[in-house]
Order: sequence, then C-alpha cells, then structure tokens
Amino acid sequence: MDMKQTDPSRLTIESVGKVYESPRGSVQALHDVSLQISPGEFISLVGPSGCGKTTLFRIVAGLVEPTTGSVLLNETPVSGPGENMGIVFQEYHLFPWRTVRGNIGFGLEQQDVPKSERNKRIEELIDLVGLEGFEDSYPKALSGGMKQRVALARALATNPSLLLMDEPFSAVDAQTRRRLQDELLDIWEETGTTVLFVTHDIEEAIRLADRVAVMAKDPGRVAEVIDINLERPRTRTDQDFGTYYEQILSLIDTEYAGSGA
Amino acid sequence: MSTEIEQELSTGRTVALRDSVSLRRAVLGSLGVVSFVSIWWVASLTQPDFVLPSPFAVVETFYNEAASGEMTEALTDSMKHWIPGAVVGTTLGIMTGIALGWSRLLDDIWSPVVRLLRPVPPLAMIGFAIAWFGINHTGAAFIIAIGAFWINFYAAYGGVEGVSDDLLDVARSLGVTSNRGLVQAVVLPAALPEILTGIRTSIGRSWMLVVAAEIFGVSGIGRRIIRASNNLQVDVVIAYILLLSLTFLVIDMLFRIAQRRLLRWT
Repeated sequence: MDMKQTDPSRLTIESVGKVYESPRGSVQALHDVSLQISPGEFISLVGPSGCGKTTLFRIVAGLVEPTTGSVLLNETPVSGPGENMGIVFQEYHLFPWRTVRGNIGFGLEQQDVPKSERNKRIEELIDLVGLEGFEDSYPKALSGGMKQRVALARALATNPSLLLMDEPFSAVDAQTRRRLQDELLDIWEETGTTVLFVTHDIEEAIRLADRVAVMAKDPGRVAEVIDINLERPRTRTDQDFGTYYEQILSLIDTEYAGSGA
Repeated sequence: MSTEIEQELSTGRTVALRDSVSLRRAVLGSLGVVSFVSIWWVASLTQPDFVLPSPFAVVETFYNEAASGEMTEALTDSMKHWIPGAVVGTTLGIMTGIALGWSRLLDDIWSPVVRLLRPVPPLAMIGFAIAWFGINHTGAAFIIAIGAFWINFYAAYGGVEGVSDDLLDVARSLGVTSNRGLVQAVVLPAALPEILTGIRTSIGRSWMLVVAAEIFGVSGIGRRIIRASNNLQVDVVIAYILLLSLTFLVIDMLFRIAQRRLLRWT
C-alpha cells in the first residue's frame, strides 16, 4: 500500500500581516511573518496565547485572508481552503451525523472518487490510525483520542501535500497525547507530508518537529526559528532536550514581557 | 479483546435498565389511566347523560360510530385537508426557515415582514380562507398550513443559525466550494434535530387546528363534534374527541420512531 502518492509541498509564508479593525481601533494580530518550510519538513509553531498562531494557522489554511503578504504552496498562492491541504482543528470537529467511515470519506466524496476506490482508501486509513472495529461507529461513541484519530484520517484521506494541525492533542490526557504524538510521527514517516503543527506545549513542539518556530505577541510575529538536532524518538529527560526547552521558554518569557525585538 | 467484553456487558446492563424503567412507566401509566376512568365513571353516575355520560356509554357510542362507517368517513374527510395543509405548511416553513437562516441578505430583507405576520393567528385568516378558496377542503387546508408553517419556520431558522462555523470551515477545507454544497453537506444534517422537532410539534399543533378549521362547514371530525354538540349528544362528542387523541397518538408515535432512526447519531 503506497501512501506517498502526492509529493509533499514547500510552504512559503511571505511577510504576512493581519490587522483587525474594531470600533476601538485596529489590532495588529500579525506583523511581517515570514517562514520557509521545505517539502517533507515537520515544523512546530509555538507561542503564548495571543501571539497570533491560530490566526496564522487560519491564513495558511486559506480560511482567513491576510492583510498583507501571501502564502504560497509550492509556487501557487493560497486563495482559499482546498483539498491539497489536510487540516486537523483543535476540537477535531467531526461530523456527528456521519460514521467514522463517513467522516474519513468526506473529502473523497467531494472529489467524486468512485465508491469502491473510496472504500479501499478508507480501509487503508482506518488501518493506519488504528480504528479497526469502529468503522461504523458514530462520533458520540468515541473517546477524545479516537476522535482525533478520525480527524487525522479524514485530513489525510485526499493525500494532501501539506498537513496543518492546530493544537490537535490539547484536549486529551497526557498519556493519550504521548501515544498520539508517537503515532503521528509514525504516520509522518510513512506519508512524508509537510507538516505545520501549532501548539502551546513547548515539550510537544520539541518532541515532534525538525524545527520550532517560536512566536511572540504584541505584535504577533516569529521571534526565532530553532533547529532541533535530535534523533527521534526524543525523550525530555535527555540533556539536549532540556537545553532546547530552556531556550524556547526563555524566548517566550522575554517576548511575553511585551517588548519587541 | 477485554474492551469488547466490557462493551457487551455495559450494553446488556443498559438494555436491562431501560427495560425495567419502561416496564415501571407502563405499569404506573396504566394505573393513572384506570384511576382517571374510575373517577369519570363515579362522577357520571351522579349526572344526567347530556352533562356527563359514563365511560362505558362513550365506548359503546364509539363502537357504533365506527361500525356504521361514520367515523371512517369523518376521519377521511379531516385527512383530506389536514394532510395537504400540514405537508404544504411544513415544507414551505422549512424551506423559508433555511433560506433566511442561511442568507444574511434574505434575512435582512424579510425579517421585518416575518415579524409583522408572525402574530396573526391562523383562525383570524378564516375570512381570507373562505374568500380565496371557499368553504371546502382547500380553505381548511390553508388554515392548517398557516399553523404548520410558523413552527417549522422558526425551527429550521434556529437550526440553521446554530450550525457551527467550525464545521463549515472543516467542510470547506475538505473541498466543499459552493453555498449549495455547504447547505447540502453540513447545514441540513446539522440542523436536522431541530427541524425534526419542529415537524413533530407542528403535527400536534396543526392537528389541533383541524376542529377549528372545520367550524365554517367543512366536513370532518371537527364538524361531527360541533353537530353532535349542538344536539347535546355529549357521548358522541367525547367519542370523537377520543378519536382525535388516538389518531394524534398514533401519528406522533410513528413520527418518533422515524425521528429516532434519523437521529441515531445524537
């Protein structure tokens, strides 16, 4: 079973800015954010609340238009949401009226994939995320961890060249989160997709990513991008892990104090 | 493997509990009905027939009316305007509710009109019904349709408004591009619980309108009740009221079965 059917894409975020107008004046949620993500790379976006990481996420996903700058998937600018990107949102947002099978197959239905091929693909994905036996269950019967697996399978169904994840594991307990992180890394290794993973959890960011982009707020911007030169699987008890952790934490702390660079 | 066994046990326990609860409710409910009929019977012993007939007299009348075919005729006649009226009112109400709930533009344009028309009771429209359609099944259906329309309108409107923006975003990110696509793939299924509740409520409400809609001379159960009432045939009145209730109960029960099936994901 060959999952690597689409070449992973390069993601270019170029001088993206977002200003929100309100009756009380304008708020600059994002200022001059630039980031280059190579094909197949796993990037974590980490930062304090209010730094604009969710706004940036939604701009990359094509759900929000930037005020300035642009986002490019390979050479093509992102103008709206599309199926070349797989998206996993914070609260999974499964369609409650559809079974696991129905949720996973949604994107394939939109692409008019014929039924037999669709079913085959759904079976592959159920296998991949480990939900055998729950194909015909409704979301109401699933635990948080299971729902997240369905959300992931749904996002991967159309073989996207970019996978976007917005704090996908924040709503589950620590053990489940650990297991899902490991499973995500396995899946990533198998599919080779480019991944942009937003989180507020520094440990999670270090554990997963090739590079960690640390964001700051007021205005929202990328303060620094740190290479994580550790072999996976990574344990936080590792000395180097701790160094990275302190490095990122101090960045967030200084920036959190409000001063711009 | 152990989780499967656990699931089986828990399902078994739930079924057993559910069965014992519904058995209890059936027993208590029957006690209630028996008490009610007993009180009625005792009261009827102290009153002449034209004030309060005994439950047994009513049952006998019911049987006679049914056997003579009068009851079937009355029921069929009522259905001749209830069904079209309820169907048309429900469909239009749902469609309009979805349209205004989804389109900001349509909502802005039509909301004031909706607010103006909403408080008009269906019965106030009887004059229009007679003038526009005549004293016939169409006229009665019109009144019933108005009753069904508003409930379904608000239910559908509320259901559509309440659809989570996040679900719409998810659908967009999975390739749904058109408004129509979004309505079909997300809005309708998401709003379905509220829409079905609206339909269920409107079935009750519109059925209750049947008697009033027949006041001006359209044949049906209501007309039969009014005629019997004029003749002080209280037993007939009660028998047909009973028919009204039983018919509603059956329809409601059937609807609830369909509703449960459609909403098994909730």
